[in-house]
Amino acid sequence: MIQIPPGAFARPGTSLEFKTGTWRADRPVHQRRAAPCHSACPAGEDAQAYLAKVELGDMRGAWETVVAANPLPAITGRVCHHPCESACNRAYYDESITIHGVERFLGDEALRQGWSYPVPIPSAEAPRMAVVGSGPAGLAAAYHLLRGGCRVTLIEAMPAAGGTVRTAIPHYRLPPDVLEQELDHMLALPGLDFRLRTQLGRDVSLEELRADHEAVFLGPGRRKGREWSADFAVPGNLRTGLQLLEAWVAGGTLPEQPRSVAIVGGGNTAVDLARVLRREGVDQVHLISHQRVPAPGVPADDAMRATYREVSQALEEGVTIHEHRGVRRLILRGERVVGMELVHMKKLEDADGRLRRVAFEGTETVLHVDQVIPAIGQDVDGMGFESLVRRGYMEVEPWWGTVNGQSGIFSGGDARSDHGTVSEAVGDGRRAAAAMLRYRAGKQLEPGAAPEPIPYSDLNLSYFESAPASKEPVLPPEQRLGLEEIEGGLQANAVRHEAHRCLSCGDCLACDNCWTLCPDQSVLKTREVAADGSHYVFDYDFCKGCGICAHECPTGYIRMIPE
Amino acid sequence: MNEQPLHDLDTLRARQPRFRGLESGHRACQGCGEALAARLTTEAAGPDVVIANATGCLEVFTTPWPQSAWRLPWIHSVFGNTAAVAAGMEAALKQQGRATQVLAFAGDGGTFDIGFQALSGMMERGHDVLFVCFDNEAYMNTGVQRSGSTPHAAMTTTSPPGELRMGKRHMKKDILSIIAAHHIPYAATASVAYPSDLRKKVRRAMDTEGASFLQIHSPCPLGWGHDGAKTIEVARLAVQTGLFPVIEMERGELIGTLPIREPRPVSDYLKLQNRFRHLFASEYRARKELEHLQAIANRNIERFELRGVGPETYDTEGADTVHRGGDRWA
Repeated sequence: MIQIPPGAFARPGTSLEFKTGTWRADRPVHQRRAAPCHSACPAGEDAQAYLAKVELGDMRGAWETVVAANPLPAITGRVCHHPCESACNRAYYDESITIHGVERFLGDEALRQGWSYPVPIPSAEAPRMAVVGSGPAGLAAAYHLLRGGCRVTLIEAMPAAGGTVRTAIPHYRLPPDVLEQELDHMLALPGLDFRLRTQLGRDVSLEELRADHEAVFLGPGRRKGREWSADFAVPGNLRTGLQLLEAWVAGGTLPEQPRSVAIVGGGNTAVDLARVLRREGVDQVHLISHQRVPAPGVPADDAMRATYREVSQALEEGVTIHEHRGVRRLILRGERVVGMELVHMKKLEDADGRLRRVAFEGTETVLHVDQVIPAIGQDVDGMGFESLVRRGYMEVEPWWGTVNGQSGIFSGGDARSDHGTVSEAVGDGRRAAAAMLRYRAGKQLEPGAAPEPIPYSDLNLSYFESAPASKEPVLPPEQRLGLEEIEGGLQANAVRHEAHRCLSCGDCLACDNCWTLCPDQSVLKTREVAADGSHYVFDYDFCKGCGICAHECPTGYIRMIPE
Repeated sequence: MNEQPLHDLDTLRARQPRFRGLESGHRACQGCGEALAARLTTEAAGPDVVIANATGCLEVFTTPWPQSAWRLPWIHSVFGNTAAVAAGMEAALKQQGRATQVLAFAGDGGTFDIGFQALSGMMERGHDVLFVCFDNEAYMNTGVQRSGSTPHAAMTTTSPPGELRMGKRHMKKDILSIIAAHHIPYAATASVAYPSDLRKKVRRAMDTEGASFLQIHSPCPLGWGHDGAKTIEVARLAVQTGLFPVIEMERGELIGTLPIREPRPVSDYLKLQNRFRHLFASEYRARKELEHLQAIANRNIERFELRGVGPETYDTEGADTVHRGGDRWA
């Protein structure tokens, strides 16, 4: 037998005695960062997180992730203008993920399968909270208070729950059976004392609510039609846009049948009403707005407040929009409107830098119409809390919704001057509920903000493939006559396709890139999910800090930090 | 770190769901492409293999006395005779009737230049050995001297750019044509940027009877002058530009390529590396050499018909696509 002298051989794997980790100047760390869809969601949903669960086939888990922020996904999946999709990093690569289609699918699936909300049953001694108004803000506040272990008294002046979602959203956007099912589902939660036909200031006072509850959330919405402060004659039987829209949504008919109508205003009420009038057979529907049609590239303060999708569908359906136009006067024959004089207008900065509307002389035109409908917005009806309403709105701390100058009273939703969508209302309710829980616990409210999103440049796109987005079927304009829903939703396979397209911005994909590409065998794979939420562990004894794992991480989940 | 470790790392290391041929603790530089290439190769080849390793970085950084990073039988040959040592081991194992496979590892110096004669003989005699060339395009171990594999116009310590030359004057040796002339059953090129492809080719070569050859493009952050974090990016760009064709040959005939979906300009690859910095000076010679390298890439794309005809699962963009759960690296 040949003897090999020591020094001519070494034992296998003995290099582990030498810790190359001491060479390191920067260390890789796992760092979950907010995806842009999450940062942009007014309701606070983490779409990236639920898309990951959808991709794994865990539909129920995905829905539970949605309702951790928003209890009404079947509704918001239909009516929300989905800022998540505008923010989606994939838009820079090919097309945004159709997030609203996934949200809607999950919401519908939960109703179909009867999944129960992950909300505990509150004890008899649980703290009591009051919520006024069962619109999306009030419902979200109540829901999150229940999630936080409270008992909630929810009062509603109307004979049915839902607020604006019920009264002012046309059925072709939100079918009534979806609305009823999702509201019933949420309102059946244990610990919720829901009282219909209970008007604050008539059936119960704010003081009484405050006395019996730890804190109060006011979600009154905006229901008081604004006076048309026109310095010209108006017909006596003038009806506001919201009145007509509510009448139509409730009964499906309109009191008059004019041939031509001008609606003054550029918000969602104006646009919804314009579309309703087209469905009711009104030949010419004109929309008069000081602003422009919202479109990518149009600055927010020059765009109509209605959402882009609604305005573009209205245009498809034959609504005529007069941009940058104001009303000079109405042309009356007795009490009857026969037309109106319009003038070109624009917002310009004055000498003090304030925006002012300027009418341009010599640009007047006459529009012949049978009816004029002002849809210039509504104010908060402050019945029962008159002293808290300022200039028609509730003034609140923007993140937590604490009513200015009050303690223990919170508000949000349309009642704020700066919010006007269902998903913003849901977010307001959610954050206010968190604030109410902290208020009760005697904790300070730190200033809050949406998380900073991970930028597109922090992803490594080499590892993804281009794939077109799934589009939901949309009813062609000529078939949009009745109450039938316009957007058809995504099928299960399309939902999975969208989940598969998600770039998983800022979150571990478990793709094995770091594990595969480490030259130093210093990324170890775990069978279980590691404590930091990833599937890998860095062995800092040997990691030399080269940064390959961070540079090649497709989702920007690994960052190098100085030692 | 002061915190309690989340996992028992020794246990976790021992339980990794892949074969570990090359262990941590080796002394390769940060971001070493060759260490990664050797790790991937042994992962796919192991465990029933023996390795003959020529002198070079890989030999030095894996076996600092008295330790070894290898978990496989491994022998250090001298610079020039790896293929001969491997051929001898193969003959001995054959004589013993054992199925253990033989690998020969060498750098580009140990393949293109110093080890070439032994390699040619091994291939000519048809030994059942997989010869792996870790191509980092210069003598890195001794301080970045130019080799037969150093690309045209690259700066090394022995091909400095100056008044007379713009880096290396000569072309990168066309080793593939030389290998092809030996009519061996299987020869291929691979890149650390495409690990699945690399491991698939190792397994294929191992399954082939007779001599096989694998050239792996392995960026060297120190010698090429790029950020160690960008090793994979640099390697990927070499493939995407056409400067490093990823191909397969049987009996000297081209049988497959990794198609380039969208060829990138060579400057995308070159500008990441200090060894080509002089090509970006604002002078005629620099512009000319830059165009020269582009022409070489174009010629490669032409010669091997690298241009893809449309998006495919197996092309420069599709071959490294990731999925949740990591199945792509299987």
